[in-house]
Amino acid sequence: MRGCFRHCIAAALVAAVSGHAVAASIDLGRIFDVGRDLRTATAGIDETEEIAVGREVAGRTLGAAPLVADSELQAYVNRVGRWLASQTERPDLPWHFGVLDTSSVNAFAAPGGYVLITRGLYEMLDSEAQLAGVLGHEIGHIVQRHHVKVMQQSAAVSAGARAAQRSDRSVLVNNLIGTGAEVFARGLDKDAEFEADRIGVVLAARAGYSPYGLVEVLHKLAARTADDASLALLFKTHPAPGERLTQLGDALAPRVAALPTGTEPAIRQVDPNTPPPASAKTAPAEGASALQQQGEGGTTIPSGGGSPGKGLDAGGILRGIFGR
Amino acid sequence: MEQLLRSLRVIVPAILLAAAPAAAQQVTLERDSGLYAEPRLDASQVTQLKLGATGEVIGKQGAWLNLKTPGGSGWLFSFNVRFQSQQAGAGDSGAGSAAGRLFGPRRSVSVTSTIGIRGIEEEDLKQASFNADQMKLLDGYVATRQAAEQGARASGLAPASVEYMDAGK
Repeated sequence: MRGCFRHCIAAALVAAVSGHAVAASIDLGRIFDVGRDLRTATAGIDETEEIAVGREVAGRTLGAAPLVADSELQAYVNRVGRWLASQTERPDLPWHFGVLDTSSVNAFAAPGGYVLITRGLYEMLDSEAQLAGVLGHEIGHIVQRHHVKVMQQSAAVSAGARAAQRSDRSVLVNNLIGTGAEVFARGLDKDAEFEADRIGVVLAARAGYSPYGLVEVLHKLAARTADDASLALLFKTHPAPGERLTQLGDALAPRVAALPTGTEPAIRQVDPNTPPPASAKTAPAEGASALQQQGEGGTTIPSGGGSPGKGLDAGGILRGIFGR
Repeated sequence: MEQLLRSLRVIVPAILLAAAPAAAQQVTLERDSGLYAEPRLDASQVTQLKLGATGEVIGKQGAWLNLKTPGGSGWLFSFNVRFQSQQAGAGDSGAGSAAGRLFGPRRSVSVTSTIGIRGIEEEDLKQASFNADQMKLLDGYVATRQAAEQGARASGLAPASVEYMDAGK
């Protein structure tokens, strides 16, 4: 029963990630039949499942934008990121870091240790301390398992529809994975972003960097105008950089005198021979097989029977510095 | 020769930018704030600035900006200001903005975020499929914890003990 239960939860998580209509294949009713509601159930998601879900999310993100073809750059970002992750309570997750070849300004965290930063954002950075601040923010989402909390929010919505789901389970499922749940979850997201900002500052400081790299990046972003095309997703989905600065300033004010100064090493530049990013049209579909990836630890992620090529929900599990 | 020219194209603008006197970097106060004689909250206060007041940034130190205002010069908690908005797309990737000039540039920046080049959008993410080849590449770049620590030590980074922060008031 336990295995079946876990299977159902993994399916629900993937559904939340992908956002496609997989209602029929997710037997949430079985979860309720065993006397637990999803709020309790999501709290029990173990690390293996978390990593498997994150791997699926990261793989789909790479389907939207490939990695910058600069292996030295990618290795460098992994060293910096892993050093930051080593300062957390979850140092031994399978941490992966990558720079996406897109001009958009953004960064993403997927559960289980997957962090992706866009080239557009990377090339705005002036120091490794700023990179550390951005990566530290994303690592914060993963360490705090914010994606799981989104699922719990979704479950809260579904609780209100529990009576309806007795006669029509699709009502409940739609509440979980549909737009309603997504909108509802945004209330939590803002606090999660502010929390990740605070963690980003602390992790950079712990790793020996200036704690203020992330602050500098937020100042840069606050100075960009809202009609900047490369920031479209940012302004659509995220608290304004200025609001984040205010929140972070309030949290930091009592601590600034005690924070270490840290250092600001130079950041590695993208190889100038690397061509600018091409139009970020969706990569060729991998087909249904891609939706049946074997996750780390041997966990199979069920696709839920959704149509191939449809799927990643930027507003669901995928969390970013500017993503929801 | 070609390589030399390419290098110069990268290096020369960086030097010019670094050597150029900082242009006026105007900031506007987001809230009433004290302007202090030193970059410390317990330093003596030069003056009290009001929301909407403006000043010129002449330096930074940690969380503090050195600000020149009509009422005097001093240090302001950097969270309490916003830099002048910068219209993007005109050959600017952020580093040319007032904030960019203050927090850099330590290098020239290749411009990729110009209008007309399409970036990753929400719709792209929704439509995307798992890319197994790219995931394999990503796996190949993973750094071990030990390698990361060695890299950090080589860069002169020393870990420090810092507690997590609560949200502010």
